[in-house]
Amino acid sequence: MSTTIPTIAQAAKQIAAKQLSPVELTQACLERVQALDNRLHAFIRLTEERALAEARAAEAAIMASGPSGPLHGIPIGLKDIVDTKSIATTCQSKLLQDNIPDSDATCAEKLAAAGTVLMGKLTTHEFADGGPSFDLPWPPARNPWNTDHFTAGSSSGTGAAVASGMILCGIGTDTGGSIRGPAALCGIAGLKPTYGLVSRAGVAPAAFSLDHIGPMAWTAEDCAIMLQALAGHDPRDPASANRPIPDYRAALGGGIMGLKIGVIHHFHETDHKVSAGTQHGITAAIATFRELGAEIREVQLSPLQDWVACGSLISIVERAAAYEEWARTRLPDFGERMRSRLMLSAFVSGVDYLQAVRRRRELRAELQAAMAGLDVVLTAVLPGEAPKIDDVPKWDVFQQPSFMMPFNVAGYPAMSVCSGFGAGGLPVAIQLVGKPFQEATVLRIADAFEKATAFRDHRPSFT
Amino acid sequence: MPTRITDDAFEYLIARAGLTLTDAEKAELKTVCDGIAAMAERVRKPRGRMAEPALTYGFAEEDL
Repeated sequence: MSTTIPTIAQAAKQIAAKQLSPVELTQACLERVQALDNRLHAFIRLTEERALAEARAAEAAIMASGPSGPLHGIPIGLKDIVDTKSIATTCQSKLLQDNIPDSDATCAEKLAAAGTVLMGKLTTHEFADGGPSFDLPWPPARNPWNTDHFTAGSSSGTGAAVASGMILCGIGTDTGGSIRGPAALCGIAGLKPTYGLVSRAGVAPAAFSLDHIGPMAWTAEDCAIMLQALAGHDPRDPASANRPIPDYRAALGGGIMGLKIGVIHHFHETDHKVSAGTQHGITAAIATFRELGAEIREVQLSPLQDWVACGSLISIVERAAAYEEWARTRLPDFGERMRSRLMLSAFVSGVDYLQAVRRRRELRAELQAAMAGLDVVLTAVLPGEAPKIDDVPKWDVFQQPSFMMPFNVAGYPAMSVCSGFGAGGLPVAIQLVGKPFQEATVLRIADAFEKATAFRDHRPSFT
Repeated sequence: MPTRITDDAFEYLIARAGLTLTDAEKAELKTVCDGIAAMAERVRKPRGRMAEPALTYGFAEEDL
């Protein structure tokens, strides 16, 4: 790994030992933003002065009494659908380009309380849907492994900024894959937690019952550190779970001997066949897990298309309900892709929606039964490497069933882990899915895989 | 892809949703509304009248 871009774990250790100053670290990140972001477009708004002030404050506090935790003095970014008090939160939309929230989203508040340094607001797809779009007030983010290529979305800026080392970690949101997709194409780690584990309060909705907030970072260990700060009950979120929060980082490093991993072969081999590079990454990952002592089994679920139909109908309707007022009065002010998504709701009846919600209960029960006796299941994240940014189909929801949507439908924790590089030299990934609130197990397996392979040693070359 | 929806039904649904669309938007939308119909068929299974939706909820102690 480049010595100039530490992980959170490495930086925290150096900061605690007073070998690294939060101000120096922040300045190094700002220099990377200045050097790279004219090509990557990962930031909508850079909060440079605030970042330096927070870094100086962190440094003073650490010099006086040591770090309050591993995130103290760590530069982060927030996807621009996360409310930030007195900093514009635009949702990448003309409709909100002057929107200045008067309070922080809970996740922003928690990361600030952990001592992080806010570098700025990150590019997204408009209202976390559609994309890439070229008709919005800001351009789409570009993939740091090859800027002609897509990052996936909608946490596109977070993926690009973390992979290129402009920030050490960031917030993503995930309604049908918006954390895991950019994590996969940008070659980083991204965890969609269990529904309700991380508060949605203050984050613009995409689809209320499918929305998740979670960490994106270079490694699983860094995701564990971030999740520790983010998880917990919040009365501001009606879906928030009230459960004890384990020590996620303490769960790492114990090996995976005897753990049971189910592989949903038919998802990525039959229902939606992945590229040779992605399949190779999956096959090699399974071999690595076997070598590490895990037991591999086969899992059979309903066809991927069933899960995607269920999730898509729910998503279309919930999004339309959230944005109906603007859809009726200001439709031309949305970008083309978001406008098209909103129009789809006209063709989904109330009964269609409720049949999808009934199907959701059945599918969730099916996954629960299939995972009895297993610790995680494994499939693809995306079918291949990042496509060219101008070659992303607008109606992919009908053409390419998503490997990620099933776990939004179920609400189960799911993580994208880099599993190598495809024929084009761009990252490919595997998806690990745990049982509800078993993020510690998912992170433990992801961490063991990262440490058994060399994929974390390789950053985009121009950094 | 030819659509099975009639022009009248299409216009009614767009109007009922309160949307004002251009002719180009309507033409594009017609190419995908059968995809929505296919999804709506796919979530229908023989499940009988008693099958509950996922959003069925109960009151917790803190609601009382």
